Amino acid sequence: MGNKRDLSMFKYQFRWDTVWGSFDFLMGGLQMTLVISAITLVLAMLGGLIIALLDMSRFRVLRWIGISIGEVVRNTPILVQLLWVYYVLPIVFGVRIEALVALIIGLALYQASFISEVYRSGIQSVPKGHREAAQVLGLTPFQSFNRIVLPQAIRMTLPPLASNFVQLIKFSSLGAVISVSEITRRGMELSATNFRPLETFTFIAVVYFFICWPLAMAIRFWERRLQAR
Amino acid sequence: MSSTAPLILADGITKRFGANQVLTRVSLDVSERDVVCVVGPSGSGKTTLLRCLALLEEPSEGRVVMQGVPISTPAPNKQVKAAGRAVRSDIGMVFQHFNLWPHMSVLQNLIEAPIRVKKMPRDEAVAIAEALLKKVDLSDKRDAYPARLSGGQQQRVAIARALAMSPKVLLFDEATSALDPELRREVLAVMRQLAREGMTMLVVTHEMGFARHVGTRTVFMDRGEIVEAAPGAAFFDAPQTERAKRFLQQFEDE
Repeated sequence: MGNKRDLSMFKYQFRWDTVWGSFDFLMGGLQMTLVISAITLVLAMLGGLIIALLDMSRFRVLRWIGISIGEVVRNTPILVQLLWVYYVLPIVFGVRIEALVALIIGLALYQASFISEVYRSGIQSVPKGHREAAQVLGLTPFQSFNRIVLPQAIRMTLPPLASNFVQLIKFSSLGAVISVSEITRRGMELSATNFRPLETFTFIAVVYFFICWPLAMAIRFWERRLQAR
Repeated sequence: MSSTAPLILADGITKRFGANQVLTRVSLDVSERDVVCVVGPSGSGKTTLLRCLALLEEPSEGRVVMQGVPISTPAPNKQVKAAGRAVRSDIGMVFQHFNLWPHMSVLQNLIEAPIRVKKMPRDEAVAIAEALLKKVDLSDKRDAYPARLSGGQQQRVAIARALAMSPKVLLFDEATSALDPELRREVLAVMRQLAREGMTMLVVTHEMGFARHVGTRTVFMDRGEIVEAAPGAAFFDAPQTERAKRFLQQFEDE
């Protein structure tokens, strides 16, 4: 051990005060991050429902549209999609889209394509026998879906939806690329003025971790409890 | 709609799944207070026959007739569909794997259909459900969730759930096959009691003791056909066909 590189690490003078000095600035960014993630989750849940309904539609054209959206979105990088929404949509439609709106649209579309699969597997997780029991007792197909399938499917989809929220918190950092003022972007701006990227980005990473990790653990616990039933 | 018409009748039912023919011109009538037991090797089409009568499967040929009215045919017209819907809750079914709804308590499982389908007031539905739970000896499980119950208890709840709609006929699809021997007994006891009370039952089963001692008629199926039918114990004492004799031999050790 003990080559020059390691020594230079030990000699580094930490200046955490540069981060504390901008604590409010960064926390404002964190607030933005959480608001973006929450709004996007709600939109993605609706979008996922639409895609799932298209996928299961009786009409071939609608099915084809639903499946195509899902395949295209799942098989292109999220960052490219964001850049596309931000730069290409305005050219096509001739309207200026705010970076924040572009980020929310892009993220929501991306998550929706995954959430549609979550819904589908939630519905398929309900054994056929449960519906047959309802049918034999005289419940209509609508009552059977509403009272028997949906409540069980929702219970199965809640943990994956929560996981999607965690993913959104992390993916929303991509907004930095198109200048959305969430926490990562603010970190970039701060380190450009305090010349302290080590302290700044370490702090930001720690903030992400202590939000995402407890959520992820809670979801794991939640899923295990669901399986035990 | 003569009074002599059987309660429910399978009239020359053939059922195919793709190229696979599961039932071949099966006819079976069940009259009021009959306890018809259907026995036979697995894959003989017993369950499919039951599912046709429960209107879970549409016959490829033939029809299901209830008290003289066709309720299921291949490609049913509006009239048949309406007739099927009308008698839907008169035909109860108990499944091999119980199929209780896991997100509802025992009581909720019992009152769901009476409230939604029969538009019964909740108080009345609860009163009926409580009486039925008492009958299957599960009053203390009223508010439990199905996952907390043993298989035998779940099946007794499933029977009570079917009874809550006061069906005219109750179909049992291997109701004890998924249970350990000691749990079977408690379910068979409930079925025996129902038979004593005059419930009309069609029972697909591997329980030869039940078929012999409780059944009013035993129907032996093999390879999608009814091979033999005889009243009560007669089938067991004097089987007529080779196939039936061979089938019964496996149970001699029991």
